[in-house]
Amino acid sequence: MKKLLAGHERHLYALKKMRSATIPFLLAFIILLQTAAAQAQDIKITGKVTGGSTPAPIPGATITVKGTARGTVTNNDGTYTISAPSNATLVATFIGFSSKEIPVNGQTTIDITLSESVTQVEQVVVVGYGVQRKVDITGAISQVKGSEISKQPAPNAVSGLQGKVAGVQITNSGKPGAAPNIKIRGAGTIYGSPNPLYVVDGVWYDDISFLNPADIENMSILKDASSEAIYGIRAANGVVLITTKKGKAGKPAVNYNGFVGFQRVTNRVKMANGHEYAILVNELSAQNGQPDLLKPDDFGEGTNWYNQELRNAMITNHQLSISGGTEKSTYSFSVGYLKQEGIVKTNDFSRFTARLQNDFQVFEPLKIGYTVTASVYNSNDVPDAIFGQLYNSAPIVPVRNPDGSYGDPSKYNLGNGPANNPQVTLDFYDQTTKRHVVTGSVYADLRFAKHFTFHTSAGGEYGDSIIRNYTPAYKATTIQQNNISVLMRTGTDRTNWIVENTLTYENKFGDHDLRVLAGQSAQQYKLYKLIASAQNVPNNSEGDRYLRLGNTDGREVKDEGDLYTVASYFGRLNYAYKNKYLLTASIRADGSSKFSGDQRWGYFPSIGAGWVISEEPFLKNANIFDNLKLRASWGKIGNASIPANVSVLRVAQDPYLTAIFGGNVNTGASINSVVAPVTYWERAVGTDVGLEASVLQNRLYVEAGFYNRETQRAIFDVPFPGSVGTRFSTIITNQANIQNRGWEFTVNWKDEPGNKDFSYSVGANLGINNNKVLSVASGSNPIYGGGGAATGGALGTRTVVGQPIGQFFGYQVEGIFQTDAEAAASAQPFAKAGDFKFRDVSGSHGTPDGRIDFNDRVPLGNPNPKYTYGINTYFSYKQFDLAVDFQGVADVDVYNANLGLRFGNENFTKEFYDKRWHGQGTSNTYPSAFIGGRQNYLPNSFFVESGSYFRIRNIQLGYSFPADMTKRWKMKNLRLYLNAQNAFNFFKYRGFSPEIGGTPNNVGIDNSVYPLYATYNFGVNVTF
Amino acid sequence: MSLSNQTTATMKNSHKYYQQRIAVYLTAILFTITAGCGKSFLDVPPQGQQPSEQFWQSQADATKGVNAMYANLREWKQVGFAAVGVESLGSDDTEKGSTPADASFLTTFDNFSVSPTEGQLLDFWQGQYQEINFCNQVIDNVPNINMDAALKTRYLAEARFIRAYANFRLVRAFGDVPLRLHLPKTPEEYNVARTPAAEVWTAIEQDLTEAAAALPVSYAAADKGRATKGAALALHAKVAMYQKKWADALNFTNQVMNLGYTLFPNYEQLFRIPNENASESIFEIQAQLIPGNKDASNSQYSQIQGVKDAVGGGWGFNVPTADLAGAYETGDPRRDATIIFRGETTPEGDAISSAGVNPRFNQKSYVPFNKFVSGYNEGCDQNIRVIRYAEVLLINAEAANELGNAQQALSSVNAVRLRARNGLTGILPDITVTEKTALRNAIWQERRVELAMESDRYFDVIRQGRAPQVFGKLGFVTGKNEVWPIPQNEIDISAGKLTQNPGY
Repeated sequence: MKKLLAGHERHLYALKKMRSATIPFLLAFIILLQTAAAQAQDIKITGKVTGGSTPAPIPGATITVKGTARGTVTNNDGTYTISAPSNATLVATFIGFSSKEIPVNGQTTIDITLSESVTQVEQVVVVGYGVQRKVDITGAISQVKGSEISKQPAPNAVSGLQGKVAGVQITNSGKPGAAPNIKIRGAGTIYGSPNPLYVVDGVWYDDISFLNPADIENMSILKDASSEAIYGIRAANGVVLITTKKGKAGKPAVNYNGFVGFQRVTNRVKMANGHEYAILVNELSAQNGQPDLLKPDDFGEGTNWYNQELRNAMITNHQLSISGGTEKSTYSFSVGYLKQEGIVKTNDFSRFTARLQNDFQVFEPLKIGYTVTASVYNSNDVPDAIFGQLYNSAPIVPVRNPDGSYGDPSKYNLGNGPANNPQVTLDFYDQTTKRHVVTGSVYADLRFAKHFTFHTSAGGEYGDSIIRNYTPAYKATTIQQNNISVLMRTGTDRTNWIVENTLTYENKFGDHDLRVLAGQSAQQYKLYKLIASAQNVPNNSEGDRYLRLGNTDGREVKDEGDLYTVASYFGRLNYAYKNKYLLTASIRADGSSKFSGDQRWGYFPSIGAGWVISEEPFLKNANIFDNLKLRASWGKIGNASIPANVSVLRVAQDPYLTAIFGGNVNTGASINSVVAPVTYWERAVGTDVGLEASVLQNRLYVEAGFYNRETQRAIFDVPFPGSVGTRFSTIITNQANIQNRGWEFTVNWKDEPGNKDFSYSVGANLGINNNKVLSVASGSNPIYGGGGAATGGALGTRTVVGQPIGQFFGYQVEGIFQTDAEAAASAQPFAKAGDFKFRDVSGSHGTPDGRIDFNDRVPLGNPNPKYTYGINTYFSYKQFDLAVDFQGVADVDVYNANLGLRFGNENFTKEFYDKRWHGQGTSNTYPSAFIGGRQNYLPNSFFVESGSYFRIRNIQLGYSFPADMTKRWKMKNLRLYLNAQNAFNFFKYRGFSPEIGGTPNNVGIDNSVYPLYATYNFGVNVTF
Repeated sequence: MSLSNQTTATMKNSHKYYQQRIAVYLTAILFTITAGCGKSFLDVPPQGQQPSEQFWQSQADATKGVNAMYANLREWKQVGFAAVGVESLGSDDTEKGSTPADASFLTTFDNFSVSPTEGQLLDFWQGQYQEINFCNQVIDNVPNINMDAALKTRYLAEARFIRAYANFRLVRAFGDVPLRLHLPKTPEEYNVARTPAAEVWTAIEQDLTEAAAALPVSYAAADKGRATKGAALALHAKVAMYQKKWADALNFTNQVMNLGYTLFPNYEQLFRIPNENASESIFEIQAQLIPGNKDASNSQYSQIQGVKDAVGGGWGFNVPTADLAGAYETGDPRRDATIIFRGETTPEGDAISSAGVNPRFNQKSYVPFNKFVSGYNEGCDQNIRVIRYAEVLLINAEAANELGNAQQALSSVNAVRLRARNGLTGILPDITVTEKTALRNAIWQERRVELAMESDRYFDVIRQGRAPQVFGKLGFVTGKNEVWPIPQNEIDISAGKLTQNPGY
């Protein structure tokens, strides 16, 4: 219950002045009237007001008798008592909720459920360094309530945003404990973390894995440059502001949230079975001019490695919170425990969180408080390579032989491709990770001289992690063995702090509403990592896992670190005239230690204007619009998410530079890189125009927006001539201007049609984004990417002017050569029957030249989704509530590298087996089993597929026990729910999941992506 | 009433007083912090990474730079798949090996179907230029260091030798290549066009001339493995041979033959770890298993060629062909010393499975299986023999014959055969033919069997002008396959500044 209350604390806070002055006066007046108009048939009515998506009591709600001035306010547990005529109608209202009318009809107990209103003039939105009424905002900010996120129980709060906000694309990793990727309005930056800045209670983070989603009160997603500009330095990827729950004056509220469920792989790709595999391997041998390797009839189904190593994985979560306080001080305390098994056997992740928050009103003008969160994570890890092994491993190899020994792929002469037995990989992989994070902030707010507030805060994060990896001495198969054990410990320390001071001046005079903010901030980020290993450490118990027990020779120690600082000054002006004409302007200056010389400081201005048209007399009286606002804004933001000192040439002192002379070790060092002489701040300039409208008594809310964001001087890791001789043939420098331009639409409808037992809401959002490269430093010359192992070393993406960033690039497949003769006579003289026939698009002079070479490569697809959308529905009937959310992306391509990434006799998919070329006339679309050989593996259109998907992201059915029952059980509220996430996914992609991350010029290349899984939960919410 | 008013007023005043005081304090804190955020706060040095200005200052830096240059010689792109593909697989002596589908891209070197996008071409290219960069770092920076003058001269000469070696590998593989004799400074110097092969050869010779003049004949034990005068002369002779500058080839080999090198008696043992840097060794890339330093124990030369599916063996690539096995004279001990046959037991006692896919493996890169340590590359201990005295004798023989000195040619080539016999009789009789063509063919044949699996055969046959006859059946196309294609990525990145070799 307190959870819900806290949800509206900000509304209350904003209106506190008004309430404290007006309400008692109003009540006194009401009581007077009531006395005068008292009638004999009045009855005494009691009841409880609840509300929210997970209904909880609402204290402070106003109950009035319709048509009279009679009224009361609910107390701390949401109950009320009022006298009213038995034929009267009660009206219940509360800020942030739609008001509700209930005919008394002689009832003496009337419980009232209010539903949250989608748009209310009073709605308050968290913005950078403050809060603002939604109507006063001139930028594009989407707010998602904690209750909305907790509808979709997930270990990481960011997952819950998927499909909820127009223009926000979430790519889940699936790996337990891993944070999802989030992109706000397309890919705007290439280097470094593509994730937005998270500001949690004023402290800046790259990742919010430490946060228990149930502790979140509110998330504000700043989408446009003008709203983000106040966070200049780190705003280029968007900003997510998170406020955590705070205590509320009143009796202690105890709340328990728990769920238990399981995760199950969906949309599994069927692999070839043993028999089919043997046929394919023989076809592959024949392609290499070799005799048959296997006798297909010797093999049946064989081993299904996915079935063998994947499981239905359990997930358990408990969260207990206690909050309360007095007028002078409030507290909120919560503890949480999450245990998530990975879908791969032996993989699990657990997290304990504890959070304590206190606010003290020391005396009237001074308020101080703090928040501290401690988290402990433990995981038993599996190697990332396991998914590649499951895909590649030969089905003819048994997990274990009849004698109990491991199936040994080498005994089948299958080569290096499927050389591993995945069971061995898991059995002998012994790695645990422990992480501790303590983070929080303290603040003080001082009001003085009537209009001023001084706010100071200091926050920070201390985190350490230890990865303990032990490889025992073992002998399992020919390849998988180890003759000396190795213990390796990797320790990481992270110390970050941020100090901020702001001074706010706020005043209303006449029709003018003015607020001015000036602030200063300093930050430091420090990381230190130490890796040490020793050999021959005994293996009797965990107590043996000390480096000191290992051999004295062969010990290895490495370390690395990072440190950077930021100093900033910022200011903002908000001005409103007659609540009608709005102006916001801000500027931030950031100095970062990552840059040097004249480039050290970056300046990020913004301006926004709004026109509340519904306040104009001609509309105000028409009573059509509850709210109609047109807003436009412009801003400049920066991206410092690049490595420090990129323009500083450094000495290479890597161990590989150690020379041997006369059997002795000689340390080497030299310079094997090149840096750009100057690196400028990467920045983005964005324009945003939006229209917001609420009509039909706020039941329908519509928002439409257009944005244009240009990332300027984007910092890239670009390929560089190999003849310069640098270690990595790339250079980090300002390279390109990139544009993301698009539209966003949001429509929300909510209603309680007549029947007081039923209410529903439907919301839909759509983001349309077009990504385009405007200019590249190399002129018309593209920046190539994707040349990793996944594409066989060939450059499979390019970033070129006029095209989307990281566009797939390669040959266009026209068909399959049916005979060697056909191939020999073609533009690909070295091709053989069963190979891809590439289209002869161009020669060096721009016309087809009868040979296939690099001139024939064409754009093959766009890895940046054009459409991201979500549909969110909510129904409540009596004690039942149902939420169904849909979500998807469309018009996007992915590169299925798994198909062509072969070194030999890796397994194939069943689909490939069914459709492959295996003799003249068998296929003109799928090649022979030699898909990984000759020129077949080169990036081409066969590997590029649609990555569009549509899914039922979340289904949740809840039941809240009636108040009279919960009362008997000494509970304020009890709700049970069933929940299914990602249960139904629809896509054509031939891989496990079309949700594929990656850095922007290598995005969407699927090389053993984590399989998609559904989660089914049963949960309980209880409030005492 | 008045009292109460007074109290209220006092309270209000004290309230205000506190408010103002706190405001003053907080504002003071604000400015203190602000003042603290000046220049020094933002001046953060690179963490754990030395800025380049601090380097190339001292003799110790020069030493480290030279060490790096040597260390890089055993790196993957120098001795791994790239080297095997570009310098070995095209020949009739070797083929890809392993299972057919394993790294099948290497087959394109075997059958001359390689495309410009083939990754090993790029690796080879990058590997050589990385080496050249390390040399140029020394050559451009060490002259400015205040250090021991003799050592400085030697370091520069060592760098020239290594640079010549890298350029030799490049020009031999690609023909015209960008010639980088200094570190690039301007944007134009970063993206440069190809230099005609003739100029590259000239630059190589100049480096080797300067290196030979300054390098010592030998080193103390702690410095064994560095480039010597003999190495520079021997490489120069080889370079001359490739250009058919027979007088130079003869002259330089004659000089080497006066430096005290001798042939190691046991041909098979010559390639084992205990006999590294032996009397026959002229230049070897030093590699070693360094416990606790996997990154420095990084040679994969023996690993990729090691016996497949054997613990301590390797991946089984670059295997001898039946053609090579049949090329030896009856009883030539070098056949068994060069080729590990499936089913045999090696002299070091490793029994090779007779059930493997590959009938033969390279024995010159072979490291006994018991040297294997988990977590390290198999055979990472093995030095890579770059130039042996036997090759100097063979170059001497070839040059002498071309210049009409059959007697010297016979003397040199027979010295090689004498060692091959290793005291056995009835095999490998001395060559006696003096007719130029016949003797040339005999010397070429001797080169083939003596230097087999040492990355010479492929380029020898091409330089000898016999490639159409010898490699034609493998797919060699005259006018095209004399050089490999320039890596496509490099052409792409150069925005057309680099051109492709004809026919690709």
